Amino acid sequence: MKPELEPIVQHYLDGSISPEEARRLNEELATDQEARRRFTEWLNLDSALAEAAAGWSLPAEKVPQKPRFTRFHFGIAAAAVLVIFLTVLPWRSHSPATVVSIAGVPEWTMGLKIGTKEYHIDEGSIELQTREGARIAIEAPAVFRFPSSMRMEVTRGRVAADVPPAAKGFTLVTPRGEAIDLGTRFGVDVVEGGDSEIHVFEGEVIAKNRHDEGGKSLRQGDAIALRTETSAIRNLRSSAFIHPDEVPGLTAGLAAGQRGRAGDRVDKLRLDPSLIALLDFEKQIPHQGNFRVVQGRWPGSKAPEFVEENDHLKLDAGADREWPLLTLAAWVRLDKLGAPYQSLLHTDDWDENKKGQVHWMVTRHMTMRLALRGNTLADTAEESEGYPDSRTSVLPEQGRWVHLAAVYDSTAKTVRFYLNGRFDKQTLLETAHPARLGPAQIGNWNRNDRRLSGRVDELLLLGRAMSDQEIRELFEAGNPYHNHQL
Amino acid sequence: MPSSENQNHQFLRDFTAHEPAIRAFVRRLVPGRADADDILQEVSVVLWNKYSEFRPDGDFRAWAFGIARYEVLGWLRDKGRDRIVLNEEVVEKLADESAADESRLCRQREALETCLGKLPEKQRHLVMKAYQPKARIQDLAEAEGKTVSGLYQWLYRVRRQLMLCIERQMERSTPS
Repeated sequence: MKPELEPIVQHYLDGSISPEEARRLNEELATDQEARRRFTEWLNLDSALAEAAAGWSLPAEKVPQKPRFTRFHFGIAAAAVLVIFLTVLPWRSHSPATVVSIAGVPEWTMGLKIGTKEYHIDEGSIELQTREGARIAIEAPAVFRFPSSMRMEVTRGRVAADVPPAAKGFTLVTPRGEAIDLGTRFGVDVVEGGDSEIHVFEGEVIAKNRHDEGGKSLRQGDAIALRTETSAIRNLRSSAFIHPDEVPGLTAGLAAGQRGRAGDRVDKLRLDPSLIALLDFEKQIPHQGNFRVVQGRWPGSKAPEFVEENDHLKLDAGADREWPLLTLAAWVRLDKLGAPYQSLLHTDDWDENKKGQVHWMVTRHMTMRLALRGNTLADTAEESEGYPDSRTSVLPEQGRWVHLAAVYDSTAKTVRFYLNGRFDKQTLLETAHPARLGPAQIGNWNRNDRRLSGRVDELLLLGRAMSDQEIRELFEAGNPYHNHQL
Repeated sequence: MPSSENQNHQFLRDFTAHEPAIRAFVRRLVPGRADADDILQEVSVVLWNKYSEFRPDGDFRAWAFGIARYEVLGWLRDKGRDRIVLNEEVVEKLADESAADESRLCRQREALETCLGKLPEKQRHLVMKAYQPKARIQDLAEAEGKTVSGLYQWLYRVRRQLMLCIERQMERSTPS
C-alpha cells in the first residue's frame, strides 16, 4: 500500500473520510491487490478491537447480578427465543460465551450472552459455548465468571469442558489453582470453601496449585485434589460431572414434563400397601451416614453422592417381617468402572443364621448382582460366581443417569433384572429364602469397602414383585432425559 | 428431543462458533462498526430463516459469508447514495479475497489479545473506551483533555503500533 494511502484508510475508519479521499481510495483498491490486502488488515484490526472492547469492563465497574436483556414477544413459540436473541444482538455481542442449552435454571434463556460479570446458578444445569467453540457444562449450585473467552473462574460448582483445538489453552481457575487445557475434555469440582478437584476425561491438562511455580501434567483418567497447602491424587469421577452432551437431553426431559410425571409416580408409590422404603431425596436427605449432598436428577433436587472410602447412607427398613417377594429399584450415576463390588444396598453383616439377607450391587464385570444369604443357583443357571447376575452391563453410556431394578420371587425361585426399564434376564434358583431386610447401607457395606462411586436417586424397596410393565413405567416416569432408550 | 428444539440448539452452536468471523467479514466491507452491527443483525435473521436449507455436513462459515456478502451489497446500494462507501466492484473483490484469506485474518485477530496486553495499562484502557459499542469520541476527548482530532491522531498511532506487533506475532507463529 502506498504510504500516502494510509492516512486515508485511517479517516475511513474514523468516519471522517472526504469525498475526494474516498475517490482516491476506491481507485487504488480497484486496481491494486496488495492495497486491498492491507486495507482488509486494517479493517480486520478495527473489528478485533471492537470485539475486545465489548468483552472488556472497567475493573471497578458495578454490574447487576442477573442477566438482563430486552424481551419481545413473537407468535411462533419455537423460534421466539431465537428471534429475541437475534434482534438484540448488537447490544449483547462480543461476549465470551453464549448459553446454548438450559436444564431447569430459572430466568435463563437460550442464546443469552454471558458477560464478564459474576453469575450464580442455584439449581439446574446449563451448557455454554465460548467464542472459540469450547463447550462447557455447569451444574448448580455454581458461581462463575469469564474474565475472557479463554478463561473461566469457578468459585463454586461442577464444570465440565469440551475444548476443541481452536480453544487450546482454555483455563479453568479455581480458588486453589487452575487447570490449563492442552486440547481435551476435563472437569473441575469446586466445593464450598474453595477446595477443588481437576479430572481429565480425555487428552492432557496442566494442573497448577496456587503455590506451585510450575504445573503438573494430568492425562486421561487422572484426577487431582487442590487444597490450601497440598495437592493429592484422586480417582477419576467422570460421571460426577454433567457433560455438555447431556444438557440438551435433560432440557428436553424437563420440557416434556418428566419431573411432574416422576413426582406423580412417587406419590402413587407412597400409597402402595407393599411399600417398604422410598427415598426420593427430593428436598432433603434425612438419613444417617457419610455422603456429599449434590443435585439429583431434577434441578434443585437432592441426592447423596459417595466419594470417600467410608461414605454410605444408612437405611433401616422392613425388619419387621420376612419378604417372600421383593422389588429393588434405583436411579444411579456411576463414576468408576471395575471396582470389585459397588453396593447399591447391603444389609449389615452377612450372617449364616440370617438366611435371606440382601446384597444388591454392581460387580467388577459391571453387571448387576442380587445375592441373598443362603440361596443357591439352579443347575441350569449360567452364572459362574454362584450369584444371580444381570447379562448386560449396567453402564450403557457412561456419565448418565441409569435405572437399575431387580425383582425377587422366593416362591417362583426367580430373580429378574431390568436396565433402564428393559427386561434383561431371569435367573432360576435352587434354594430361595424369603428376603430379610433391616439395618443396611446404601452405597457401601458396614464390613468391607464396597463403596459405590457415584450418586443414587429414588431408591425403592417394595414387598411385592413388580411386573415387566410396571418396571417399564417406573423407568419411563422417572427418566430425566426425553425419549432416552437403551 | 423435538426437532425444532434440536434445530435451535444446533443453530445457536453454529452461529456462536462463527459469529466473530462473520462479524469481522462484514466489518471489512462497510465504513462503520455500527453499520456492521446492523447488517450482522439482518444476516443472523436470514441465516436462521434459511437454516433448514443448510446441509448439516456443510461449511457453515462459507455459507454464512455468502449470505453476508449478499446482504452487504444490498445495504451498499441502499445507503450508497447518502453515505461515503466503497464502490460495489471494490467491495466484491474485497469480499472474495478476504473470505479466502479468513484463516490468516483470524490469526491476526487472535494475536491482538497478546498485543493489547503489551500496551501500557493507561493506553489500553483508553483504546478500549474508544472502542466501546456506544462510545462518543467527543465525550471521551473532553474527559481526557484532548481535542477530537488529537484523540483520532492518538488512536491512529496506537493502531499502527498494534499492527506492527501483530505482524511480529504472526512471523513468530508461522511454521518454518
